[in-house]
Amino acid sequence: MRSRPPGAERAAEPAAEPAAEPVAERVARPAARGCHGDAAGDVPGDGRPVVALVGSPNVGKSSLFNAVTGARRTVGNWAGTSVEVGTGSWRTGDRELAVVDLPGAYSLDPLSPDERLTRDLLVRDTEAEASAGAGTGARTGTGAGHLDLVVVVVSAADLARTLYLAVQVLEHPLPVVLAVTMGDVATRRGIHLDAEALSEELGVPVVPVDPRRGRTGELASVVLQVLDAGQPPRPAPVPGPSPEAPCGDADLAAADRRFTRIAAAVGAATHRSGGSRTGWSDRVDQVATHPVAGPVVFLAVMWVVFQLTTRVAAPVQGFLDGLVSGPVSSGARWVFGALGLGGGAVEGLVVDGLVAGVGMVLTFVPLMTIMFSLLAVLEDSGYLARAAVVTDRLMRAVGLPGKAFLPLIVGFGCNVPAVSATRVLPDARQRLLTVLLVPFTSCSARLTVYVLVASTFFGRHAGDVVFGMYVLSIVMVILTGLLLRSTLLRRLGTEDLVLDLPRYQLPLPRLLVAVTWTRLSAFLRTAGGIIVASVVVIWALSTVQVGGDRSEPVRNSAYGTIAAAASPLFAPAGFGDWHATGALMVGFVAKEAVVASWAQTYATSEPADLRRPGGLGDSLRADFERSSGGHVVPAVLAFLVFLLGYTPCVATLAAQRREIGTRWTLVGIGLQFVLAWTLAVAVFQIGRLIT
Amino acid sequence: MTRPAPLSAVLAELTAGAPTLDEVARRTGLDRDLVEAAVAHLVRLGRVDSSELSTACPDSACGGCPVSACGARGAPASPGRRPVLVALSVRNDRP
Repeated sequence: MRSRPPGAERAAEPAAEPAAEPVAERVARPAARGCHGDAAGDVPGDGRPVVALVGSPNVGKSSLFNAVTGARRTVGNWAGTSVEVGTGSWRTGDRELAVVDLPGAYSLDPLSPDERLTRDLLVRDTEAEASAGAGTGARTGTGAGHLDLVVVVVSAADLARTLYLAVQVLEHPLPVVLAVTMGDVATRRGIHLDAEALSEELGVPVVPVDPRRGRTGELASVVLQVLDAGQPPRPAPVPGPSPEAPCGDADLAAADRRFTRIAAAVGAATHRSGGSRTGWSDRVDQVATHPVAGPVVFLAVMWVVFQLTTRVAAPVQGFLDGLVSGPVSSGARWVFGALGLGGGAVEGLVVDGLVAGVGMVLTFVPLMTIMFSLLAVLEDSGYLARAAVVTDRLMRAVGLPGKAFLPLIVGFGCNVPAVSATRVLPDARQRLLTVLLVPFTSCSARLTVYVLVASTFFGRHAGDVVFGMYVLSIVMVILTGLLLRSTLLRRLGTEDLVLDLPRYQLPLPRLLVAVTWTRLSAFLRTAGGIIVASVVVIWALSTVQVGGDRSEPVRNSAYGTIAAAASPLFAPAGFGDWHATGALMVGFVAKEAVVASWAQTYATSEPADLRRPGGLGDSLRADFERSSGGHVVPAVLAFLVFLLGYTPCVATLAAQRREIGTRWTLVGIGLQFVLAWTLAVAVFQIGRLIT
Repeated sequence: MTRPAPLSAVLAELTAGAPTLDEVARRTGLDRDLVEAAVAHLVRLGRVDSSELSTACPDSACGGCPVSACGARGAPASPGRRPVLVALSVRNDRP
């Protein structure tokens, strides 16, 4: 009995094997049952040789069936199964053959009911006959209850993969003819097939066909010749070096023997124009995945993405900013005034809170749309896969597990699912390491803050700054990984993965729109909920006065007092201001709310500034100028570095706690805070010295 | 001279950490198409795990995450599209 490899979901054995019955009668069964066929009764139950067409899915087997039967197909479930089988008549000269179009199968080791049926018909029945005395040789078609001949359909464009089934069939005592399809596709790929050489290697007739154009070549005459004259015994399968197979598994050893035969057949029967498989896609890859050029290309591509994102979106964003801070806010105030509620707390909540906060985030919609679209283009074209190879290589170079890069890629979208995605890592310590690294990947919620701050302080160089933040994110992941590997997680297993790079393809506009919309709407849905909740909480805390000075109501509110109490912590980093500290406190909950909290608190504390376009930027500039002692640029960079490094959001913490427990989650919070604060202070203090 | 055993050779290189199938082909001296066929068969045998990667969510069913990403594995390409990246890893949980 064959051993069953773990993980291979083979088709379950049926509870009761159907009693053996002649193939020809079983072929006739579908027609007799009248299942949505169009030519019931085309296949008589006896007297005709039975030819089976088998092959891997998508090799053109059904096209060949249609070509030889004139597309007169009867379809029905095979007796005792739910598998559909097509049957028909093949008239050639004065002869008529019964043709069975068996379900597509990659091999005779079934993983599905379809494959199981194909295997049963090809192997079980013939093995039973062989044991009863019928051997290889003249099996003239009598229709006496067996397959008289098997046409194995293989693809010239994918010969190595589709030959496996053929080689397996050849191990059984069945007359076989090989039909080779897709010669035109192979030729376009520079593959040239020598049918004669393939025939010599395999010991069976090989006939090139083009069934999509109705061309069956010499197939009919070769089939009749084999049916009439029989087929000489084939040489035994070439023994391969399976005894030394490293895994010693019977399945692997048997498959290795077949692949050895396939390698010999493919080597003897095919050659490529120019001598290699290299096409333009591979030539591009030679640069895109090159150990040195690859990272350079990756950085250049990402730089272009952020330049396009910030520069193209800037004018639209300015227009929307003017719209929200101008007509929308004014209109809302007018409505409150008309209702006699002007100047009240409710107006403050709605206009200074919801309109200012939500409106500010809405100004980022064009920016997010452009960035999501560009990333979708990169992904769908296949380039991001190459970037993954570059990143993976970098991670391996510093001794981090290759598989860890899978969740880290996801982290650049959102940290929460990235933490869950660490489950792909089989080793618990690798999982722990990766969960601790995920928060350093710069999620898209942080992008809104980068863009607001960068465009406020760096103008036309905003794209460079945002690009720099993403590069820094990668650097922080690697450095933190190295730090953890050399301290807390010294014993770490290795778990490599291989990346298969499909060819480049032209992105589909429809798909790009769908992906962009899915991401954008998801972002707005989540961000909208978080912003509304945070705006209400900030508004509530802002209305509770804890100081006596009424000239600065927000500064002396509960919100302002808490933020001001924490702000000295950030003074060494140049942003020890209560507005910035308050925004970072809100950002601990969710980064989506940082910009909204700024918009809300400045709108309440400095309403005159916020009611004109660009007012938020002016307020930010003034506060950073004050808190940094005139060293604005290093202070702003330090703020961005801290924002990148500290806790991404409470949702990520919850996901971390679920994956690695409370203790390690707390370790992570501390690690992120210490690293972020240290780097921010270093950036400011060094920057202060050189500016 | 002993002929190389293609499947075992490919499996050995995957286990040894070859980063791409091109690299596997280079190391084994096998044709790239044969390497792809061998990997596909190793996946069928349960020796190798294969997962399609995507940073995009196939639908908007990921409740709670701002920017989709249904996890690193299992997010398939859209209908009618080829996958843009496939990650393969040798299974170590065999008895």
